[in-house]
Amino acid sequence: MRFKSSAATALLLLLGACSPTPMVVSPVCNMGAVDDQRQLQEVPSLETPMNSVNITDKSIINKMFANNVTARRTATGTVEVIAQIINCTDYPLVAEARTQFYDTGKVPSEPVSAWKRFHLPAKTSNAYRESSIGTRSVEYYTVEMRETK
Amino acid sequence: MRFLPTVAAITAGLSLAACQTVDNTPGNRTFGNSSGTPTTYVDPGSMGPVRGVGIESQDIIGMTDQMMRDMLTEPRLASAATPPNVIIDSEYFQNDSSSRLNKNVITDRLRVSLNRAASGRMQFVGRHYADMVAKERELKRKGVTDKGTVPGAKAQKGGDYRLGGRINSLDARDPKSGIVQRYNQIVFEMVDLESAEIVWSGMYEFAKAAQDDIIYR
Repeated sequence: MRFKSSAATALLLLLGACSPTPMVVSPVCNMGAVDDQRQLQEVPSLETPMNSVNITDKSIINKMFANNVTARRTATGTVEVIAQIINCTDYPLVAEARTQFYDTGKVPSEPVSAWKRFHLPAKTSNAYRESSIGTRSVEYYTVEMRETK
Repeated sequence: MRFLPTVAAITAGLSLAACQTVDNTPGNRTFGNSSGTPTTYVDPGSMGPVRGVGIESQDIIGMTDQMMRDMLTEPRLASAATPPNVIIDSEYFQNDSSSRLNKNVITDRLRVSLNRAASGRMQFVGRHYADMVAKERELKRKGVTDKGTVPGAKAQKGGDYRLGGRINSLDARDPKSGIVQRYNQIVFEMVDLESAEIVWSGMYEFAKAAQDDIIYR
């Protein structure tokens, strides 16, 4: 009986050695690396970093991050901001974001957008999109993000 | 004899109540609901203290802002060689949901915010003011009033595109827990008033669940 058990274990080990590298089924969430790249501001800053996602809610700063933030001109000349947000937790999160667009002088060129809610199931990503009202007047943007219910 | 103490107690109670004074000096006014929640302004763009499963202020602000920004990305509406005449009102915006709702709250906010944001990229026709304009035009043409300062128009503006849409909902209730869940779906469409082509569509949807639903008035 002992021999049979050992043989089965050896067979399993051999099969395990032949199996391919396990696939990554969830987004890469190396929060240590994310933290290293972040511009954390403990004190109120004199200048808001432009063209970025600012997580203004401390409670989610270690739960989610913006993987990619891009902006492009639409067919009518408005600016569309797209931010890919990743939920690194193993439970669902609900966050909301809004965007402020600025002109060349970094002055708000239009009213801030309304909060837009998006759901993030565990270990998934979702895209936040927002379009500007203005066309040529828009040069910069900042995205604010916080947790909601 | 048996009732005498009771009668005496009631009489004494009433006498004491009659002696009670109400301080009405400013700052010292006391009302019956002194232990109630004081009135506070709340941000209409965020969830307030009274929450239900229906459409609320933050949903209306969110959906109209999203639709307004999205319409400005549609070339036929926002970058046509000649700015189109658009009509945005609640005439063809139906409420088929289980929420009691004033549709004008949605369409008025959408029209006002889009008109302010468009800044000439679209022209807005106030079809809901057609009667008011017709009466004034008649007075001018009959000579009851003068012609005003703005040059006369042959007729009121005709619309190129008009808002249509629908509010739908799907309700579910767990009889054991009493939890109510409602899926709300709000569809916005801009329709070409010559060909009936839908030139732009937008949808806003959300689901809410709560144990005790509130009453919307």
